[in-house]
Amino acid sequence: MGQDGITPQKRGGGLPTSTTTVNGRAGRGSILPRGRQIHRTFNNIKITILCGFVTILVLRGYIGLNLGSPDADAINQNLIEETNRILAEIRSDHDPDDVTEPYFDGNATFSLGPRISNWDHDRKIWLDLHPQFPSFVRGKPRILLVTGSPPNPCDNPIGDHYLLKAIKNKIDYCRLHGIEIVYNMAHLDKELAGYWAKLPLIRRLMLSHPEVEWIWWMDSDALFTDMVFELPFSKYDDYNLVVHGYPDLLFEQKSWIAVNTGSFLFRNCQWSLDLLDTWAPMGPKGPIRDEAGRILTANLKGRPAFEADDQSALIYLLISQKDLWMNKVFLENSYYLHGYWAGLVDRYEEMIEKYHPGLGDERWPFVTHFVGCKPCGSYGDYPVERCLSSMERAFNFADNQVLKLYGFRHRGLLSPKIKRVRNETVKPLEIVDQFDIRRTEHGSKASLG
Amino acid sequence: MLERCFGGRRLLKVKRLLRNGKLTLLCLALTVVVIRGYLGAGKFGTPQQDFREIRNRFSRRQAEPRRVLEEAGAGAGAAAEEKRSYGDVDIKTIWIDEDEEPERSDPNRPYTLGPKISDWDERRARWLKKNPNCPNFLRPDKPRVLLATGSSPKPCENPVGDHYLLKALKNKIDYCRLHGIEIFYNMALLDAEMAGFWAKLPLIRKLLISHPDIEFLWWMDSDAMFTDMAFEIPWERYRDSNFVMHGWDHMVYGQKNWIGLNTGSFLLRNCQWSLDILDAWAPMGPLKVREEAGKMLARELKDRPPFEADDQSAIVYLLVKEKDKWADKVYLESAYYLHGYWGILVDRFEEMMENYHPGLGDHRWPLVTHFVGCKPCGKFGDYPVERCLKQMDRAFNFADNQVLQIYGFMHKSLDNRKVKRTRNETDKPLEIKDKFGLIHPAFKAVKVSSS
Repeated sequence: MGQDGITPQKRGGGLPTSTTTVNGRAGRGSILPRGRQIHRTFNNIKITILCGFVTILVLRGYIGLNLGSPDADAINQNLIEETNRILAEIRSDHDPDDVTEPYFDGNATFSLGPRISNWDHDRKIWLDLHPQFPSFVRGKPRILLVTGSPPNPCDNPIGDHYLLKAIKNKIDYCRLHGIEIVYNMAHLDKELAGYWAKLPLIRRLMLSHPEVEWIWWMDSDALFTDMVFELPFSKYDDYNLVVHGYPDLLFEQKSWIAVNTGSFLFRNCQWSLDLLDTWAPMGPKGPIRDEAGRILTANLKGRPAFEADDQSALIYLLISQKDLWMNKVFLENSYYLHGYWAGLVDRYEEMIEKYHPGLGDERWPFVTHFVGCKPCGSYGDYPVERCLSSMERAFNFADNQVLKLYGFRHRGLLSPKIKRVRNETVKPLEIVDQFDIRRTEHGSKASLG
Repeated sequence: MLERCFGGRRLLKVKRLLRNGKLTLLCLALTVVVIRGYLGAGKFGTPQQDFREIRNRFSRRQAEPRRVLEEAGAGAGAAAEEKRSYGDVDIKTIWIDEDEEPERSDPNRPYTLGPKISDWDERRARWLKKNPNCPNFLRPDKPRVLLATGSSPKPCENPVGDHYLLKALKNKIDYCRLHGIEIFYNMALLDAEMAGFWAKLPLIRKLLISHPDIEFLWWMDSDAMFTDMAFEIPWERYRDSNFVMHGWDHMVYGQKNWIGLNTGSFLLRNCQWSLDILDAWAPMGPLKVREEAGKMLARELKDRPPFEADDQSAIVYLLVKEKDKWADKVYLESAYYLHGYWGILVDRFEEMMENYHPGLGDHRWPLVTHFVGCKPCGKFGDYPVERCLKQMDRAFNFADNQVLQIYGFMHKSLDNRKVKRTRNETDKPLEIKDKFGLIHPAFKAVKVSSS
């Protein structure tokens, strides 16, 4: 009788939990020993904590914690997007007033304008009637430097920056030598766009300014690197076109780079108008230019296949109509009226050490021309870093010559910063007499009037 | 059934295994997601940024074949390993400062623009006499003028900033060519103490003493444009003045208003008086005193907000404080817009073109339109970027039309860069009379007596 009660106790073990089973409910799976239960609880807690931790991490990954200041970021982001949108609009060629015009009709002959045949005579009469606008000032011919760039922003901001530096460089040279500048940003003739745009521009300027004796075209990627050198005009008394080039390359080898039309001078006279009229026909955009390109590639040595450019066309003209034109063309190579940059830019330090400005030739180049770099476009023919560092060096090399008067120079040819090389003085005019470039050349000042 | 397959105990084991397996898989999945969030695309690893990155990578690949085609077309056959796109390169990596930083001047000594010159008028007069081919007057009524302007030697922060600097410079070149004025475009910081708007002071002093043949120096900000190509400054009016600014006497001397005058466009005669006023003007400029000076100026001048001392507030303060010393030689011009605030002018260009003509210089046809506050070279201006840039284009075209009409062209509209012909080419070019007489203007003529 009592024995039944005792035996489960004995059998159940020492744990107090076993006494609850005395009531009779002893299902096999639901009765767990105490230790097991704690173990299980621990497991559950571990899993809960682990999952909770993981959930927080996941949420943080998606929502973020807002620890930093998102405002500045958001504003910056907005500004960048807005600027990009405006940029795209500005850069686009979209013309709200444009009426699409067909390509130039190949059958009609292209001309720069109505034929003028009396220009020398008309010009002389005008000059006699207007003595207040002489074509020679203080013994020097009046020169107009013409350059330009497209009206749109460049493909990259660095292109515009170098256009700015290049025009500052030209302003400096021209101020020191009494030359006026025309910076063109308009396409005067739809047909003659691109490198051909200089032809209608030159003609237009010649006819509007009879007081100008020489028109000097200079590419936007050419920099003056000799601020003292003056063009030797007495050499050109009997010539009407001065262009940098080599006779053997032109007539014997018929090379497409025998002359360079990145920097050349045209006298304001009938002969020049005639040459421009003869030069222009290969220019009109479309099938004419493409066909002309093929002819030029076939006839000129080394020319790759692309549409006709003004330089190749001029070379072809001078070769094929040699007798008509060459007696008035001066192929200048005694100084760098155009200096191909690759052979020059690395030698600037050597030049500074050994030579001095005023030479204009390979010892101290007059013009350093960055052909092929095309900083205003997206891609050039050369590695961009080489182009940019070379342009910076050329600019600073020239700028040092300007800053000399003020007692400064650049802290290295690759540095936009300057440093003082001469202390301020209470006798500034002695410095002026010694260093002003305008005074050191032949003792006479080149000025506007 | 399973029980019969595996047996009781085994079943338990299997169940436990399955449960653990489920748990493991769940945790594994969550871990992967979390790790992806940190190492994946973008800052917070959102799927959207993922998508964007994938799209970008894909579109970049599409651009490459086109580039290769362009290169082939241009005749360049070189390898594409080295960077050939100007968009890829950062100019900062190219700059090298070879020499050390210049020594800082003694902080205890007060700042000066340079050693004091006291006999400039006599020295200059002697020099001019010795150099008769460098006269300071081109004609009796026309002094030799040098226009000075400038910008930083580093590219603008705003990607189109340099383009607008270029256009503004072309605009100045055009005006100065028509009026026989020379230009000096400065890109050098002459004195690190006087950076920012104060940089013009050391530059102006340097130009005055280095070019004794200049009679007037005309300072013009890089964000100011000429909009009246025919207007010639009335030099005779300033015969007895040394400093000409746009402004109003009552606003400067009466109200002490900080915008009572504007130093974005002013004329300064080359003389001792000017060197003296530059010396008196400079002390608020050096970096170390600018903050304090700015606070003082905000207190003293009407409506001036508190910010570091600027050259314009400083000159207002100087003129008010030392009126007796300077005011008699200062001319505050308000008859024409030597400086014209762009906000009230740019919307009226079409109306001006219809009703008036160049040569007036005033509110009817402003000489100068000055884009104060636009800061096209910087990142943040005081006005919306789009309005500023669009209006600068319009002002540029408004001015450019006056130059192009000489040659028979004009812009298709003020909002359009492209030009159209207004006059056919003729075989009698010398008989053309341009509308405003700009082709051979009287103010450009040289003295007839010169050889």
